[in-house]
Amino acid sequence: MGNAPAHVLLIEDNPGDADLVRLRLVEGKSEVHVNCVPRLSDALACLELETPSLVLLDLNLPDSHGADTFRQIMQKAPNVPVVILSGQDDEALAMKAVHLGVQDYLIKGEITSKHLERALRYAVERQGLLRSLETLRKQQLEFKNQFLSHVSHELRTPLTCIHQYVTLLLDGLAGPLLPDQLDYLKTVLKSVNQLHAMIRDLLEATRADSGKLRVEPRCIAIGELIQQAVAMMRPTAAEKRIGLEAVLDPSIPLVYADPDRALEVLINLIDNAIKFTPAEGSVTVKASMVETDPSAVYLSVSDSGRGIPAESLPQVFERLYQDPEAVDGNRAGLGLGLYIAKEIVALHGGRMWVASEAGSGSTFSFTLPFYSLAKLLLPVITHKGRLREGIVLVRVELTPLSKALRGSWKETCQKCLEILRKCIYLDKDLVLPPLETGNAEETFFVVASTDIGHVNIMVDRIRNQVGGLPKLKASGTLKVTVEAIPGPPAADSRTVEQQVWGVADCVTEIIQQGIASKQHLNKKEKHQNAHRR
Amino acid sequence: MRTDDKTEGQPVNRPKIMVVDDDSDLRQALSLRLRANNFVTVNACDGYSAIAMAQKEKPHLIILDLGLPAGDGFAVLKNLRQYPSLAEIPVIVLTARDPETNEKRTLETGAVAFFQKPVDNEELLGVIRASLQAGWGWGGALPSNPS
Repeated sequence: MGNAPAHVLLIEDNPGDADLVRLRLVEGKSEVHVNCVPRLSDALACLELETPSLVLLDLNLPDSHGADTFRQIMQKAPNVPVVILSGQDDEALAMKAVHLGVQDYLIKGEITSKHLERALRYAVERQGLLRSLETLRKQQLEFKNQFLSHVSHELRTPLTCIHQYVTLLLDGLAGPLLPDQLDYLKTVLKSVNQLHAMIRDLLEATRADSGKLRVEPRCIAIGELIQQAVAMMRPTAAEKRIGLEAVLDPSIPLVYADPDRALEVLINLIDNAIKFTPAEGSVTVKASMVETDPSAVYLSVSDSGRGIPAESLPQVFERLYQDPEAVDGNRAGLGLGLYIAKEIVALHGGRMWVASEAGSGSTFSFTLPFYSLAKLLLPVITHKGRLREGIVLVRVELTPLSKALRGSWKETCQKCLEILRKCIYLDKDLVLPPLETGNAEETFFVVASTDIGHVNIMVDRIRNQVGGLPKLKASGTLKVTVEAIPGPPAADSRTVEQQVWGVADCVTEIIQQGIASKQHLNKKEKHQNAHRR
Repeated sequence: MRTDDKTEGQPVNRPKIMVVDDDSDLRQALSLRLRANNFVTVNACDGYSAIAMAQKEKPHLIILDLGLPAGDGFAVLKNLRQYPSLAEIPVIVLTARDPETNEKRTLETGAVAFFQKPVDNEELLGVIRASLQAGWGWGGALPSNPS
């Protein structure tokens, strides 16, 4: 069996106990260096400097008690084996610690040097095994991802070929078709599209598993996104003669979400709803605010389908869950759609749930965080509990030279945004989340904690670095303008939060005026601000 | 603008598109689709012949796969930039590879758009027309949609 620990960090505040353990350790045959500290804070400082081969830990220290003690140690040094020194009266706690990842525990007063040496040797050995298991697990996950990405690529190639030739035939490019032939080919195309969706889901679920699913939140008008989703799904609904409508609360504020991902979630829920609703039924998409929760927008998709039995409800968001009752024409898919949707919502800081009763339809609901400028601004424009002096709004406008190409212009704007983020001080300036306007012109805003006299340094930096980007030079123009945000009055009795709300209001108003034609900004937030004051 | 394009009996005075893909079936299908939309097409099956064919045929636009023998799509993109006469040809990447790891890189290497296979035909044709209109390769009128 492997090596005994060469360097032990002993954390014990009772000098008698400490000496005894030290003595037992040294009595053993192997060379061991013991570093003894009486307090958790000392131990954490030691672990900062060097990594021992093992930690011996008393749970009750002057500055920490019980479970919290080993939690902090394990957080600080996750790879170091921990053995607990326990009194007879807190053996239960020591046992709990073992369940939570501590290697072993020893009862004070029952420690012999042979016993101690063996316990420590095994602890080191087990920790090593644990670590190699973890490495193996990561390797296997990586292998699984590579494998799936490879498979997806290989599946796509023949699928593309089928898709191309079927659409050639369907579009009559190889001559006219008989009605039956047209019907059969449409069925082929439908299956090709299903297969395509499955390959996509497979990869998405793998990404969700390995934490590689990413969202890029922007400030979006969720109402428009819902209209878009409904318009996209209308043909599918019409095919089954299902009524599909959106009910939108006109006062819904802007939300802070990834537009592509949010659309994906909506499409997924609507598609499911249509799938499980019989002909002549109805599907309704709603967006509303809830009195009790001012931080999120509530979205829901309800159907008049046959509902989900109570015993299946807890499973519907699980991977690979498929409706056991699915009838023909509702080919089930991989059972990953809802799992992915829920993961996407969770990445936005929202939640997703379902309410249903067998026979009376289902309602899938989720929340998306509402876009609050004040929440984003608070840590940036305040310092030591006070509003920073001098706040300006920098407007960075990018205009394409011609009716530019979708892909490359979007990419250029994205690149500009990345560079822009490097032109500011992270602790006192903030590049506001981009507004989703659906227009080619892109406007970014920076809220900077500096006065109008000093902001020129930043403006020059933006002009040089963003304006110097070759891609932008080739395809568009840059305009940078600056506006001061009025500071609070000299005798201001408001709290710092209220002052930040004031700044947020002011910034919102300026942005709103500037792009009023492109976007209707957050009236709801303004309303709430007024209410708070 | 050239008016003397003649490619194996295909009509003259139309934008010429080169399809680069190692899958001959897909090359054929894409060419059929493009010709049905009044484009002239030429083909190449690997990275090396893509450059040779581009020099010979001077296409107005290139549809390029990434996974190719004899110089992959990235190598083709880089190579095209070496020749002043080819550097301005808009390239649309059409690949089975995933956008997460490839889209950004292809656009940075000079492609004007990235599509993952299978692609929606109308979307692809839309970007082809927009790219030609943007004035790099084609100064003439665009062929109209037959449908």
